[in-house]
Amino acid sequence: MSTTVNIVSPSTTPVPASTPIIEVRNIQKSFGDVVAVDGLSFSVERGTILGLLGPNGAGKTTTIRMLTTLLPMDAGVATVDGFDVTRESDMVRRSIGLAGQFAAVDEKLTTRQNLDLFGRLYHLPRPLRKERVKTLVERFEMDEYADRLAGALSGGQRRRLDVVAALIADPPAVFLDEPTTGLDLRGRLALWEQIRAIRDDGAAVVLTTQYLEEADRLADRIVVIDRGRAVAQGTTAELKARLERDVLEVAVASEDERDAAVAALGPGGVTAIDDRTLHVTVGAADESLAALRRVQEAGVRIADFQLRRPTLDDVFIELTGQKVVPDEAVGTTPREELRA
Amino acid sequence: MTTTTAPQVPAIERPALGARVRETFGDVVAVTRRDLIRTARMPEMLTFAVIMGVFFLLIFNYVYGGAIGAGSGVDYIQFLVPGVLVITALTGSQQTGMGLAVDLSGGVVDRFKSLPMSQGAVIAGRTVADTVRNVAGLILVIALGIVLGFDVASAAGAVVALLLVVGLGFAFSWVNGAIAAKVRNPEMVSMLSMFWLFPLMLASSAFVPTEQMPDWLRPFADMQPVSVVSDAVRALSTGNPANGAVLGSVAWIAGLTAASAIFAVRAYRRP
Repeated sequence: MSTTVNIVSPSTTPVPASTPIIEVRNIQKSFGDVVAVDGLSFSVERGTILGLLGPNGAGKTTTIRMLTTLLPMDAGVATVDGFDVTRESDMVRRSIGLAGQFAAVDEKLTTRQNLDLFGRLYHLPRPLRKERVKTLVERFEMDEYADRLAGALSGGQRRRLDVVAALIADPPAVFLDEPTTGLDLRGRLALWEQIRAIRDDGAAVVLTTQYLEEADRLADRIVVIDRGRAVAQGTTAELKARLERDVLEVAVASEDERDAAVAALGPGGVTAIDDRTLHVTVGAADESLAALRRVQEAGVRIADFQLRRPTLDDVFIELTGQKVVPDEAVGTTPREELRA
Repeated sequence: MTTTTAPQVPAIERPALGARVRETFGDVVAVTRRDLIRTARMPEMLTFAVIMGVFFLLIFNYVYGGAIGAGSGVDYIQFLVPGVLVITALTGSQQTGMGLAVDLSGGVVDRFKSLPMSQGAVIAGRTVADTVRNVAGLILVIALGIVLGFDVASAAGAVVALLLVVGLGFAFSWVNGAIAAKVRNPEMVSMLSMFWLFPLMLASSAFVPTEQMPDWLRPFADMQPVSVVSDAVRALSTGNPANGAVLGSVAWIAGLTAASAIFAVRAYRRP
């Protein structure tokens, strides 16, 4: 429903639907010598979800904390709903809802009491507050535990309450910092539904995640960040299209042969290793054949192989340079989590 | 607007000063309410806080009662109850620091800080809630004191005395709130509170007259808030001239509250 609005006088014309609610221009933040966010820019429109995708320590949480006025920024400009985050932080706080990484609800209050408390603190008049609590409890199917203490809720229920608490004042901008971390698959799927509902209600949503699948499924646009910098932005399709090369997956017969296969493929050839499967980026088909031959010539038995189009997963690895190396401590998080 | 339509969330606009004051008041009420619900749901904490004063009254009455009563010709219960009231307010205020540190070290504070609420309300609400709880403990001490022979000269004096004790508890709550806002770690806050709690409690006129203390200690012991308020309450309850001590008490209460509040709100907002 994008409409062309004829702007005669910008100050009196209603904000057109396509105007970004959240605008971020070149924001920066350092902690001592460590640069956490290094010149990030993006914008989020009404009714859309922006996914901030990156590994741990990429600067996602720092970004959210700056945009929600919890942390002053070193440089750059950000506005939310037309208010400057640095100079008009009090007005920004009227325009946002935040659900952080840790379930920020009061364990000694019930679900309903928590929502009521946050409604009070958004200064909603009493009738409206009652109405909003009732509506949200129904809409997000929390009736069953509406009068249970938050401390007695399951992880998924508590996280749901946490996210709903951010919506009590129906804010134009909603920030969700790794909302599905620690949830099981069922809880994650349920929360995804909830997040889509927030978007459909018209909010501009910023969602941070280290799960590629989550960004893929939820986000209208994705900003891939690594070490505080945006390494790519675009829709999922656009990001995937950036990788013109295919991915060859080679499964070796035993783990002992894996290192020999990696050596045969040469440095930089293997982008990821998954148990006994090596992921190799290849161009033309004969490049795949050559790679397979090199592995074979090194005396490695090939159990299986396939050639496929790149996934967002590959884009991520390509962009962030995070490779899953045989030393399992490094960079296994996104992939491992996806399979869990 | 008809009654059948669901109320709409109002547009976001900058509130006028009057509205802002009302909002701030509402914020403090909301947080106070939340903290009182929490207190009620932690009965063991509540019980401990409320009986603390009774515990002090019984111990000191039977431990020091004989020694002091015999020597000075003072009726010790008359001397002791005002002191125990002040100490009850002092120890009760420690829970402000603990409670706030738990809030500030948990996830809920990030939400509070992201809300359009008044930035001092989290601490203010806590101090008010703890003061309300403190009153319960004080009433218990007074009741037991009366059973043990404590008497007040006038009702007006008793009311002023109680207000001073409650006021000092409120001021100490703010001191604890300021420390918690700065330190934020519950264990650290409780350890730090020992450093100033015990000197204030013991080097004071709360349990024993300061005359027997060494010369180097007496200026501190006479001037510090616990002694000043204890002396004021004592004078008010016996009907002695109390103006100086009352003024001194009010000055301590106002000074401690104002200084701590300014410091606390600043420390709270720091990331």
